[in-house]
Amino acid sequence: MKISSFRYLVHQGVAGIWKNRMMTFASFCILLVSLLMVGLASLTAINLTRIISGIEDKSEVVVVISDNADKAAEAELEEHLKAIPNVNSIELYSKEEAWNGMLESMTEEERAFFKYADENPLPDTYRLTVKDIELMSETTAQIETLDFVESTQSPTTFADVLISIRRIFTILATAVVAALVVVSLVIISNTTRASVFARRKEINIMKYVGATNAFIRIPFFVEGMIVGLIAALGALLMTKFAYEGVYNIFSDDSVIWVIMGMKKLYSFNELLFPVSVSYLAAGAIIGAVGTSISTGKHLRV
Amino acid sequence: MVEFQDVSVTYNSSGVDALNKVNLKINDGDFAFVVGPSGAGKSTLIKLVLKEIDATSGTVLVNGFNLKKLRRSKVPALRRTIGVVFQDFRLIPTMTVYENVAFVLRVIDAPAKYIRSRVPYVISLVGLSDKAKCYPTELSGGEQQRVALARALVNDPQLIIADEPTGNIDPALSYEIVELLKGINECGTTILMVTHEHDLVRYFGGRIININKGSIDFDEVVGGAHDEN
Repeated sequence: MKISSFRYLVHQGVAGIWKNRMMTFASFCILLVSLLMVGLASLTAINLTRIISGIEDKSEVVVVISDNADKAAEAELEEHLKAIPNVNSIELYSKEEAWNGMLESMTEEERAFFKYADENPLPDTYRLTVKDIELMSETTAQIETLDFVESTQSPTTFADVLISIRRIFTILATAVVAALVVVSLVIISNTTRASVFARRKEINIMKYVGATNAFIRIPFFVEGMIVGLIAALGALLMTKFAYEGVYNIFSDDSVIWVIMGMKKLYSFNELLFPVSVSYLAAGAIIGAVGTSISTGKHLRV
Repeated sequence: MVEFQDVSVTYNSSGVDALNKVNLKINDGDFAFVVGPSGAGKSTLIKLVLKEIDATSGTVLVNGFNLKKLRRSKVPALRRTIGVVFQDFRLIPTMTVYENVAFVLRVIDAPAKYIRSRVPYVISLVGLSDKAKCYPTELSGGEQQRVALARALVNDPQLIIADEPTGNIDPALSYEIVELLKGINECGTTILMVTHEHDLVRYFGGRIININKGSIDFDEVVGGAHDEN
Protein backbone atom coordinates (compact mmCIF):
# COMPACT_ATOMS: atom_id res chain seq x y z
CA MET A 1 0.00 0.00 0.00
CA LYS A 2 1.30 3.43 -0.95
CA ILE A 3 1.94 6.08 1.70
CA SER A 4 -0.62 8.33 -0.01
CA SER A 5 -3.25 5.55 0.24
CA PHE A 6 -2.41 5.00 3.90
CA ARG A 7 -2.72 8.73 4.55
CA TYR A 8 -6.07 8.68 2.78
CA LEU A 9 -7.32 5.81 4.98
CA VAL A 10 -6.16 7.53 8.16
CA HIS A 11 -7.89 10.69 6.99
CA GLN A 12 -11.05 8.65 6.30
CA GLY A 13 -10.86 7.32 9.87
CA VAL A 14 -10.59 10.83 11.31
CA ALA A 15 -13.36 12.13 9.05
CA GLY A 16 -15.55 9.15 10.01
CA ILE A 17 -15.68 10.40 13.59
CA TRP A 18 -17.65 13.47 12.57
CA LYS A 19 -19.61 11.80 9.77
CA ASN A 20 -20.89 9.14 12.16
CA ARG A 21 -21.07 11.41 15.16
CA MET A 22 -24.12 9.91 16.84
CA MET A 23 -22.71 6.39 17.04
CA THR A 24 -19.26 7.80 17.78
CA PHE A 25 -20.69 9.73 20.71
CA ALA A 26 -22.40 6.56 22.01
CA SER A 27 -19.11 4.62 21.79
CA PHE A 28 -17.26 7.49 23.45
CA CYS A 29 -19.70 7.62 26.40
CA ILE A 30 -19.66 3.86 26.93
CA LEU A 31 -15.86 3.71 26.81
CA LEU A 32 -15.53 6.68 29.15
CA VAL A 33 -17.92 5.26 31.75
CA SER A 34 -16.32 1.80 31.51
CA LEU A 35 -12.79 3.15 31.93
CA LEU A 36 -13.96 5.33 34.80
CA MET A 37 -15.64 2.42 36.62
CA VAL A 38 -12.68 0.08 36.26
CA GLY A 39 -10.18 2.85 36.98
CA LEU A 40 -11.84 4.09 40.16
CA ALA A 41 -12.37 0.53 41.41
CA SER A 42 -8.69 -0.24 40.79
CA LEU A 43 -7.52 2.94 42.52
CA THR A 44 -9.71 2.16 45.53
CA ALA A 45 -8.22 -1.34 45.66
CA ILE A 46 -4.65 -0.01 45.37
CA ASN A 47 -5.18 2.47 48.21
CA LEU A 48 -6.91 -0.01 50.51
CA THR A 49 -4.01 -2.42 49.94
CA ARG A 50 -1.64 0.37 50.90
CA ILE A 51 -3.59 1.11 54.07
CA ILE A 52 -3.55 -2.54 55.10
CA SER A 53 0.13 -2.77 54.28
CA GLY A 54 0.70 0.33 56.46
CA ILE A 55 -0.93 -1.41 59.39
CA GLU A 56 1.17 -4.50 58.75
CA ASP A 57 4.39 -2.47 58.73
CA LYS A 58 3.57 -1.19 62.20
CA SER A 59 3.45 -4.72 63.59
CA GLU A 60 6.65 -5.18 65.58
CA VAL A 61 8.36 -8.15 67.13
CA VAL A 62 9.99 -7.26 70.45
CA VAL A 63 13.06 -9.34 71.27
CA VAL A 64 13.99 -9.23 74.96
CA ILE A 65 17.78 -9.59 75.45
CA SER A 66 19.12 -11.68 78.32
CA ASP A 67 20.54 -9.78 81.30
CA ASN A 68 23.79 -11.72 80.98
CA ALA A 69 24.47 -10.45 77.45
CA ASP A 70 27.31 -7.97 77.27
CA LYS A 71 27.76 -5.41 74.48
CA ALA A 72 29.65 -7.88 72.27
CA ALA A 73 26.94 -10.51 72.71
CA GLU A 74 24.26 -7.93 71.86
CA ALA A 75 26.15 -6.99 68.69
CA GLU A 76 26.48 -10.68 67.79
CA LEU A 77 22.74 -11.18 68.35
CA GLU A 78 21.99 -8.15 66.16
CA GLU A 79 24.03 -9.70 63.33
CA HIS A 80 22.12 -12.98 63.70
CA LEU A 81 18.81 -11.11 63.64
CA LYS A 82 19.78 -9.15 60.55
CA ALA A 83 20.68 -12.42 58.83
CA ILE A 84 17.09 -13.68 59.10
CA PRO A 85 15.58 -13.13 55.61
CA ASN A 86 12.15 -11.93 56.79
CA VAL A 87 13.56 -9.22 59.08
CA ASN A 88 12.96 -5.81 57.54
CA SER A 89 14.37 -3.34 60.10
CA ILE A 90 15.98 -3.68 63.49
CA GLU A 91 16.38 -1.14 66.24
CA LEU A 92 17.96 -1.41 69.68
CA TYR A 93 15.79 -0.07 72.45
CA SER A 94 18.04 0.19 75.50
CA LYS A 95 16.83 -0.34 79.05
CA GLU A 96 17.47 3.39 79.73
CA GLU A 97 15.34 4.45 76.77
CA ALA A 98 12.65 2.04 77.87
CA TRP A 99 12.79 3.40 81.44
CA ASN A 100 12.59 7.03 80.29
CA GLY A 101 9.83 6.18 77.89
CA MET A 102 7.87 4.48 80.64
CA LEU A 103 8.30 7.48 82.97
CA GLU A 104 7.18 9.88 80.26
CA SER A 105 4.01 7.94 79.73
CA MET A 106 3.13 8.16 83.44
CA THR A 107 1.24 10.80 85.37
CA GLU A 108 3.09 13.04 87.83
CA GLU A 109 1.97 10.93 90.79
CA GLU A 110 3.04 7.66 89.18
CA ARG A 111 6.40 9.16 88.24
CA ALA A 112 6.95 10.27 91.84
CA PHE A 113 6.42 6.70 92.98
CA PHE A 114 9.26 5.43 90.73
CA LYS A 115 11.51 8.45 91.23
CA TYR A 116 13.64 6.84 93.90
CA ALA A 117 13.94 3.37 92.39
CA ASP A 118 17.60 2.45 92.66
CA GLU A 119 17.67 -0.05 89.81
CA ASN A 120 16.16 -0.08 86.30
CA PRO A 121 14.31 -3.40 86.07
CA LEU A 122 13.66 -3.16 82.34
CA PRO A 123 15.70 -5.19 79.80
CA ASP A 124 17.42 -4.12 76.59
CA THR A 125 15.26 -5.05 73.59
CA TYR A 126 15.46 -5.22 69.85
CA ARG A 127 12.38 -4.08 67.94
CA LEU A 128 11.99 -5.66 64.57
CA THR A 129 9.63 -5.14 61.68
CA VAL A 130 9.09 -7.99 59.26
CA LYS A 131 8.87 -8.03 55.47
CA ASP A 132 6.07 -10.56 55.23
CA ILE A 133 3.58 -10.55 58.03
CA GLU A 134 2.34 -14.01 57.02
CA LEU A 135 5.72 -15.43 58.14
CA MET A 136 5.67 -13.64 61.50
CA SER A 137 5.10 -16.82 63.55
CA GLU A 138 7.94 -18.67 61.81
CA THR A 139 10.26 -15.68 62.17
CA THR A 140 9.46 -15.35 65.88
CA ALA A 141 10.15 -19.06 66.41
CA GLN A 142 13.46 -18.70 64.58
CA ILE A 143 14.46 -15.73 66.76
CA GLU A 144 13.68 -17.66 69.94
CA THR A 145 16.33 -20.25 69.06
CA LEU A 146 19.11 -17.62 69.08
CA ASP A 147 21.52 -17.19 72.01
CA PHE A 148 20.93 -14.34 74.47
CA VAL A 149 17.26 -14.11 73.59
CA GLU A 150 15.26 -14.08 76.81
CA SER A 151 11.86 -13.99 75.18
CA THR A 152 9.91 -12.52 72.29
CA GLN A 153 6.61 -10.68 72.00
CA SER A 154 4.81 -10.54 68.66
CA PRO A 155 1.24 -9.66 67.72
CA THR A 156 0.67 -13.00 65.97
CA THR A 157 -3.08 -13.00 66.58
CA PHE A 158 -3.37 -9.47 65.19
CA ALA A 159 -1.17 -10.52 62.29
CA ASP A 160 -3.46 -13.45 61.56
CA VAL A 161 -6.47 -11.12 61.52
CA LEU A 162 -4.68 -8.75 59.17
CA ILE A 163 -3.69 -11.62 56.90
CA SER A 164 -7.32 -12.80 56.75
CA ILE A 165 -8.55 -9.27 56.05
CA ARG A 166 -5.98 -8.83 53.32
CA ARG A 167 -6.85 -12.16 51.70
CA ILE A 168 -10.59 -11.45 51.73
CA PHE A 169 -9.98 -7.94 50.44
CA THR A 170 -7.71 -9.14 47.64
CA ILE A 171 -10.31 -11.68 46.49
CA LEU A 172 -13.12 -9.09 46.70
CA ALA A 173 -11.14 -6.38 44.92
CA THR A 174 -10.04 -8.77 42.16
CA ALA A 175 -13.60 -10.04 41.73
CA VAL A 176 -15.09 -6.53 41.59
CA VAL A 177 -12.49 -5.24 39.11
CA ALA A 178 -12.79 -8.41 36.98
CA ALA A 179 -16.60 -8.16 36.96
CA LEU A 180 -16.42 -4.51 35.95
CA VAL A 181 -13.92 -5.34 33.18
CA VAL A 182 -16.20 -8.11 31.84
CA VAL A 183 -19.33 -5.93 32.01
CA SER A 184 -17.46 -3.06 30.33
CA LEU A 185 -16.16 -5.29 27.54
CA VAL A 186 -19.64 -6.68 26.86
CA ILE A 187 -21.15 -3.19 26.72
CA ILE A 188 -18.31 -1.82 24.60
CA SER A 189 -18.50 -4.81 22.25
CA ASN A 190 -22.25 -4.30 21.77
CA THR A 191 -21.80 -0.59 21.16
CA THR A 192 -19.03 -1.04 18.60
CA ARG A 193 -21.07 -3.78 16.92
CA ALA A 194 -24.07 -1.45 16.71
CA SER A 195 -21.83 1.30 15.39
CA VAL A 196 -20.38 -0.95 12.69
CA PHE A 197 -23.79 -2.51 11.94
CA ALA A 198 -25.12 0.96 11.12
CA ARG A 199 -22.41 1.15 8.45
CA ARG A 200 -22.67 -2.41 7.12
CA LYS A 201 -23.96 -1.20 3.73
CA GLU A 202 -20.92 1.03 3.41
CA ILE A 203 -18.65 -1.95 4.10
CA ASN A 204 -20.66 -4.05 1.65
CA ILE A 205 -20.22 -1.49 -1.12
CA MET A 206 -16.48 -1.28 -0.46
CA LYS A 207 -16.24 -5.06 -0.86
CA TYR A 208 -18.08 -4.94 -4.20
CA VAL A 209 -15.66 -2.42 -5.66
CA GLY A 210 -12.73 -4.66 -4.78
CA ALA A 211 -11.48 -3.23 -1.49
CA THR A 212 -9.35 -5.61 0.56
CA ASN A 213 -10.30 -6.33 4.17
CA ALA A 214 -7.31 -4.31 5.40
CA PHE A 215 -8.34 -1.33 3.26
CA ILE A 216 -11.80 -1.39 4.85
CA ARG A 217 -10.57 -2.03 8.37
CA ILE A 218 -7.92 0.70 8.62
CA PRO A 219 -10.34 3.68 8.78
CA PHE A 220 -12.48 1.82 11.33
CA PHE A 221 -9.33 0.98 13.30
CA VAL A 222 -8.16 4.60 13.28
CA GLU A 223 -11.62 5.88 14.16
CA GLY A 224 -11.96 3.41 17.06
CA MET A 225 -8.50 4.24 18.36
CA ILE A 226 -9.08 8.00 18.32
CA VAL A 227 -12.45 7.65 20.04
CA GLY A 228 -10.80 5.34 22.61
CA LEU A 229 -8.00 7.83 23.25
CA ILE A 230 -10.42 10.75 23.65
CA ALA A 231 -12.56 8.67 26.03
CA ALA A 232 -9.41 7.76 27.97
CA LEU A 233 -8.43 11.43 28.29
CA GLY A 234 -11.93 12.28 29.48
CA ALA A 235 -11.86 9.43 31.99
CA LEU A 236 -8.39 10.53 33.16
CA LEU A 237 -9.56 14.08 33.84
CA MET A 238 -12.68 12.91 35.67
CA THR A 239 -10.63 10.43 37.71
CA LYS A 240 -8.18 13.19 38.64
CA PHE A 241 -10.93 15.47 39.93
CA ALA A 242 -12.76 12.70 41.79
CA TYR A 243 -9.56 11.27 43.26
CA GLU A 244 -8.15 14.60 44.38
CA GLY A 245 -11.49 15.46 46.00
CA VAL A 246 -11.36 12.29 48.11
CA TYR A 247 -7.62 12.68 48.72
CA ASN A 248 -8.03 16.22 50.08
CA ILE A 249 -10.73 15.10 52.51
CA PHE A 250 -8.48 12.41 53.98
CA SER A 251 -5.34 14.56 53.90
CA ASP A 252 -7.01 17.09 56.20
CA ASP A 253 -7.22 14.41 58.89
CA SER A 254 -3.87 12.81 58.18
CA VAL A 255 -3.00 12.65 61.93
CA ILE A 256 -5.75 10.08 62.32
CA TRP A 257 -4.10 7.89 59.70
CA VAL A 258 -0.76 8.08 61.52
CA ILE A 259 -2.34 7.27 64.88
CA MET A 260 -4.18 4.35 63.33
CA GLY A 261 -0.89 3.14 61.91
CA MET A 262 -2.12 3.54 58.37
CA LYS A 263 -0.14 4.99 55.52
CA LYS A 264 -1.58 7.97 53.77
CA LEU A 265 -3.35 7.54 50.42
CA TYR A 266 -1.26 7.83 47.26
CA SER A 267 -1.35 11.33 45.85
CA PHE A 268 -2.67 11.55 42.29
CA ASN A 269 0.73 12.76 41.08
CA GLU A 270 2.30 9.52 42.32
CA LEU A 271 -0.25 7.57 40.28
CA LEU A 272 -0.43 9.88 37.27
CA PHE A 273 1.98 7.93 35.04
CA PRO A 274 0.60 4.39 35.55
CA VAL A 275 -3.00 5.62 35.49
CA SER A 276 -2.46 7.67 32.30
CA VAL A 277 -0.67 4.85 30.52
CA SER A 278 -3.32 2.30 31.58
CA TYR A 279 -6.23 4.51 30.54
CA LEU A 280 -4.72 5.54 27.20
CA ALA A 281 -3.58 2.02 26.34
CA ALA A 282 -6.91 0.46 27.35
CA GLY A 283 -8.90 3.14 25.51
CA ALA A 284 -6.87 2.90 22.32
CA ILE A 285 -6.70 -0.91 22.26
CA ILE A 286 -10.35 -1.52 23.15
CA GLY A 287 -11.52 1.18 20.73
CA ALA A 288 -9.34 0.08 17.82
CA VAL A 289 -9.46 -3.70 18.23
CA GLY A 290 -13.14 -3.74 19.24
CA THR A 291 -14.21 -1.78 16.18
CA SER A 292 -11.88 -3.69 13.92
CA ILE A 293 -13.19 -7.08 15.12
CA SER A 294 -16.78 -5.92 14.75
CA THR A 295 -16.18 -5.12 11.08
CA GLY A 296 -15.02 -8.70 10.46
CA LYS A 297 -18.55 -10.11 10.39
CA HIS A 298 -19.55 -7.72 7.60
CA LEU A 299 -16.48 -8.41 5.50
CA ARG A 300 -17.61 -11.88 4.47
CA VAL A 301 -19.27 -10.76 1.25
CA MET B 1 -15.20 -12.90 -20.76
CA VAL B 2 -17.70 -14.84 -18.67
CA GLU B 3 -18.14 -18.57 -19.09
CA PHE B 4 -20.39 -20.98 -17.20
CA GLN B 5 -19.70 -24.70 -17.72
CA ASP B 6 -22.43 -27.03 -16.38
CA VAL B 7 -22.99 -24.73 -13.44
CA SER B 8 -25.51 -25.73 -10.79
CA VAL B 9 -26.34 -23.95 -7.53
CA THR B 10 -28.39 -25.45 -4.74
CA TYR B 11 -28.99 -23.35 -1.65
CA ASN B 12 -28.28 -25.49 1.40
CA SER B 13 -30.61 -23.57 3.67
CA SER B 14 -33.72 -24.00 1.50
CA GLY B 15 -32.68 -26.89 -0.74
CA VAL B 16 -33.76 -24.81 -3.76
CA ASP B 17 -32.00 -25.49 -7.07
CA ALA B 18 -31.34 -21.92 -8.20
CA LEU B 19 -29.35 -22.88 -11.30
CA ASN B 20 -29.34 -26.23 -13.05
CA LYS B 21 -26.41 -27.22 -15.31
CA VAL B 22 -26.16 -23.81 -16.95
CA ASN B 23 -23.81 -23.35 -19.90
CA LEU B 24 -23.20 -19.79 -21.01
CA LYS B 25 -20.49 -17.81 -22.70
CA ILE B 26 -20.35 -14.03 -22.90
CA ASN B 27 -17.46 -12.83 -25.03
CA ASP B 28 -15.42 -9.69 -24.54
CA GLY B 29 -17.27 -6.69 -25.92
CA ASP B 30 -20.72 -8.31 -25.77
CA PHE B 31 -23.83 -6.53 -24.49
CA ALA B 32 -26.30 -9.03 -23.07
CA PHE B 33 -29.65 -8.58 -21.40
CA VAL B 34 -30.49 -11.26 -18.81
CA VAL B 35 -34.23 -11.53 -18.35
CA GLY B 36 -36.59 -13.86 -16.59
CA PRO B 37 -39.28 -13.96 -13.90
CA SER B 38 -38.57 -13.48 -10.21
CA GLY B 39 -36.85 -16.50 -8.69
CA ALA B 40 -35.62 -17.71 -12.08
CA GLY B 41 -31.96 -17.54 -11.05
CA LYS B 42 -30.85 -14.13 -12.39
CA SER B 43 -29.53 -12.88 -9.05
CA THR B 44 -27.79 -16.20 -8.43
CA LEU B 45 -26.00 -15.77 -11.76
CA ILE B 46 -24.79 -12.30 -10.74
CA LYS B 47 -23.71 -13.55 -7.30
CA LEU B 48 -21.68 -16.29 -8.94
CA VAL B 49 -19.88 -13.85 -11.26
CA LEU B 50 -19.00 -11.63 -8.27
CA LYS B 51 -18.00 -14.72 -6.24
CA GLU B 52 -20.48 -13.76 -3.57
CA ILE B 53 -21.46 -17.43 -3.61
CA ASP B 54 -19.80 -20.57 -5.00
CA ALA B 55 -21.28 -22.96 -7.52
CA THR B 56 -22.41 -26.30 -6.12
CA SER B 57 -20.97 -27.92 -9.26
CA GLY B 58 -19.49 -26.81 -12.57
CA THR B 59 -16.95 -24.14 -13.46
CA VAL B 60 -17.29 -20.37 -13.64
CA LEU B 61 -14.64 -18.36 -15.50
CA VAL B 62 -14.66 -14.56 -15.26
CA ASN B 63 -12.07 -12.26 -16.84
CA GLY B 64 -9.44 -15.00 -16.69
CA PHE B 65 -10.20 -16.07 -13.12
CA ASN B 66 -11.38 -19.61 -12.46
CA LEU B 67 -13.74 -18.89 -9.57
CA LYS B 68 -13.72 -22.48 -8.36
CA LYS B 69 -10.00 -22.21 -7.61
CA LEU B 70 -9.99 -18.56 -6.55
CA ARG B 71 -8.98 -18.03 -2.92
CA ARG B 72 -10.91 -15.56 -0.73
CA SER B 73 -7.89 -13.29 -0.52
CA LYS B 74 -7.89 -12.95 -4.33
CA VAL B 75 -11.58 -11.99 -4.61
CA PRO B 76 -10.78 -8.22 -4.48
CA ALA B 77 -8.51 -8.70 -7.53
CA LEU B 78 -11.43 -10.29 -9.42
CA ARG B 79 -13.86 -7.57 -8.40
CA ARG B 80 -11.48 -4.86 -9.57
CA THR B 81 -12.01 -6.16 -13.11
CA ILE B 82 -15.78 -5.79 -12.75
CA GLY B 83 -17.93 -2.71 -12.38
CA VAL B 84 -21.28 -3.22 -10.69
CA VAL B 85 -24.43 -1.12 -10.90
CA PHE B 86 -27.19 -2.04 -8.46
CA GLN B 87 -30.90 -1.33 -8.53
CA ASP B 88 -30.64 0.53 -5.21
CA PHE B 89 -27.51 2.46 -6.34
CA ARG B 90 -25.50 1.53 -3.22
CA LEU B 91 -23.58 4.76 -2.97
CA ILE B 92 -21.73 5.52 0.26
CA PRO B 93 -23.96 8.16 1.88
CA THR B 94 -21.16 9.88 3.79
CA MET B 95 -19.14 10.52 0.62
CA THR B 96 -19.74 13.12 -2.07
CA VAL B 97 -20.28 12.16 -5.72
CA TYR B 98 -16.58 12.80 -6.38
CA GLU B 99 -15.49 10.73 -3.36
CA ASN B 100 -17.81 7.83 -4.25
CA VAL B 101 -16.29 7.60 -7.72
CA ALA B 102 -12.72 8.24 -6.56
CA PHE B 103 -13.02 5.55 -3.89
CA VAL B 104 -12.74 2.80 -6.53
CA LEU B 105 -9.44 4.22 -7.72
CA ARG B 106 -8.17 4.58 -4.14
CA VAL B 107 -8.92 0.89 -3.64
CA ILE B 108 -6.61 -0.03 -6.53
CA ASP B 109 -3.89 2.32 -5.23
CA ALA B 110 -4.12 4.60 -8.26
CA PRO B 111 -1.78 7.64 -8.23
CA ALA B 112 -3.37 10.79 -6.79
CA LYS B 113 -2.64 12.70 -10.00
CA TYR B 114 -4.51 10.10 -12.08
CA ILE B 115 -7.45 10.19 -9.65
CA ARG B 116 -7.62 13.98 -9.94
CA SER B 117 -7.84 13.81 -13.74
CA ARG B 118 -9.85 10.59 -14.23
CA VAL B 119 -12.68 11.17 -11.75
CA PRO B 120 -13.90 14.55 -13.10
CA TYR B 121 -13.71 13.12 -16.62
CA VAL B 122 -15.90 10.11 -15.79
CA ILE B 123 -18.33 12.28 -13.85
CA SER B 124 -18.60 14.51 -16.91
CA LEU B 125 -19.34 11.45 -19.07
CA VAL B 126 -22.48 10.78 -17.04
CA GLY B 127 -23.38 14.49 -17.08
CA LEU B 128 -22.96 15.27 -13.41
CA SER B 129 -20.00 17.67 -13.36
CA ASP B 130 -22.02 20.30 -11.53
CA LYS B 131 -23.04 17.80 -8.83
CA ALA B 132 -19.56 16.48 -7.99
CA LYS B 133 -19.61 17.98 -4.51
CA CYS B 134 -23.15 16.82 -3.68
CA TYR B 135 -23.95 13.95 -1.34
CA PRO B 136 -26.09 11.06 -2.67
CA THR B 137 -29.09 12.17 -0.60
CA GLU B 138 -29.08 15.47 -2.49
CA LEU B 139 -29.53 13.73 -5.86
CA SER B 140 -32.55 12.29 -7.68
CA GLY B 141 -32.81 8.54 -8.35
CA GLY B 142 -31.66 8.96 -11.94
CA GLU B 143 -28.68 11.05 -10.87
CA GLN B 144 -27.70 8.54 -8.20
CA GLN B 145 -27.78 5.77 -10.78
CA ARG B 146 -25.57 7.82 -13.06
CA VAL B 147 -23.09 8.21 -10.19
CA ALA B 148 -23.21 4.42 -9.71
CA LEU B 149 -22.51 4.07 -13.42
CA ALA B 150 -19.55 6.46 -13.17
CA ARG B 151 -18.24 4.46 -10.24
CA ALA B 152 -18.57 1.22 -12.20
CA LEU B 153 -16.76 2.77 -15.12
CA VAL B 154 -13.98 4.73 -13.49
CA ASN B 155 -11.34 1.99 -13.26
CA ASP B 156 -12.00 0.93 -16.84
CA PRO B 157 -13.26 -2.58 -15.98
CA GLN B 158 -13.43 -5.44 -18.49
CA LEU B 159 -17.00 -6.21 -17.48
CA ILE B 160 -19.89 -4.16 -16.10
CA ILE B 161 -22.75 -5.95 -14.40
CA ALA B 162 -25.91 -3.91 -14.15
CA ASP B 163 -28.39 -5.57 -11.80
CA GLU B 164 -31.83 -4.04 -12.51
CA PRO B 165 -30.22 -0.60 -12.97
CA THR B 166 -33.50 0.97 -14.07
CA GLY B 167 -35.67 -0.58 -11.36
CA ASN B 168 -35.76 2.48 -9.12
CA ILE B 169 -35.89 5.30 -11.63
CA ASP B 170 -38.39 6.95 -13.97
CA PRO B 171 -39.09 5.06 -17.24
CA ALA B 172 -37.83 8.02 -19.28
CA LEU B 173 -34.52 7.98 -17.41
CA SER B 174 -34.26 4.20 -17.86
CA TYR B 175 -33.64 4.68 -21.57
CA GLU B 176 -30.98 7.25 -20.75
CA ILE B 177 -29.17 4.80 -18.47
CA VAL B 178 -29.22 2.02 -21.08
CA GLU B 179 -28.02 4.51 -23.69
CA LEU B 180 -25.08 5.26 -21.41
CA LEU B 181 -24.38 1.54 -20.99
CA LYS B 182 -24.57 1.07 -24.76
CA GLY B 183 -22.08 3.90 -25.21
CA ILE B 184 -19.70 2.28 -22.71
CA ASN B 185 -20.10 -1.05 -24.54
CA GLU B 186 -19.15 0.60 -27.83
CA CYS B 187 -15.81 1.45 -26.22
CA GLY B 188 -15.19 -2.29 -25.72
CA THR B 189 -16.48 -3.00 -22.23
CA THR B 190 -18.58 -6.14 -21.83
CA ILE B 191 -22.01 -5.39 -20.34
CA LEU B 192 -24.27 -7.87 -18.59
CA MET B 193 -27.57 -6.22 -17.71
CA VAL B 194 -30.24 -7.96 -15.66
CA THR B 195 -33.68 -6.48 -16.12
CA HIS B 196 -37.40 -7.07 -15.73
CA GLU B 197 -38.32 -4.37 -18.19
CA HIS B 198 -39.25 -6.05 -21.45
CA ASP B 199 -40.02 -2.71 -23.10
CA LEU B 200 -36.39 -1.70 -22.70
CA VAL B 201 -35.17 -5.00 -24.10
CA ARG B 202 -37.53 -4.75 -27.07
CA TYR B 203 -36.43 -1.21 -27.73
CA PHE B 204 -32.68 -1.77 -27.61
CA GLY B 205 -32.53 -5.39 -28.76
CA GLY B 206 -29.22 -7.28 -28.83
CA ARG B 207 -28.30 -10.52 -27.12
CA ILE B 208 -31.09 -11.68 -24.83
CA ILE B 209 -30.61 -14.48 -22.32
CA ASN B 210 -33.82 -15.70 -20.73
CA ILE B 211 -33.50 -17.69 -17.53
CA ASN B 212 -36.42 -19.70 -16.27
CA LYS B 213 -36.47 -22.08 -13.29
CA GLY B 214 -32.68 -22.16 -13.12
CA SER B 215 -32.08 -22.95 -16.79
CA ILE B 216 -31.42 -20.85 -19.88
CA ASP B 217 -34.36 -21.36 -22.21
CA PHE B 218 -33.53 -18.62 -24.71
CA ASP B 219 -30.20 -17.11 -25.76
CA GLU B 220 -30.28 -15.24 -29.05
CA VAL B 221 -29.52 -11.91 -30.64
CA VAL B 222 -32.67 -10.01 -31.64
CA GLY B 223 -33.08 -6.70 -33.39
CA GLY B 224 -34.61 -3.78 -31.46
CA ALA B 225 -36.77 -0.79 -32.28
CA HIS B 226 -33.77 1.40 -31.46
CA ASP B 227 -31.78 -0.16 -34.32
CA GLU B 228 -34.68 0.31 -36.76
CA ASN B 229 -34.79 4.00 -35.88
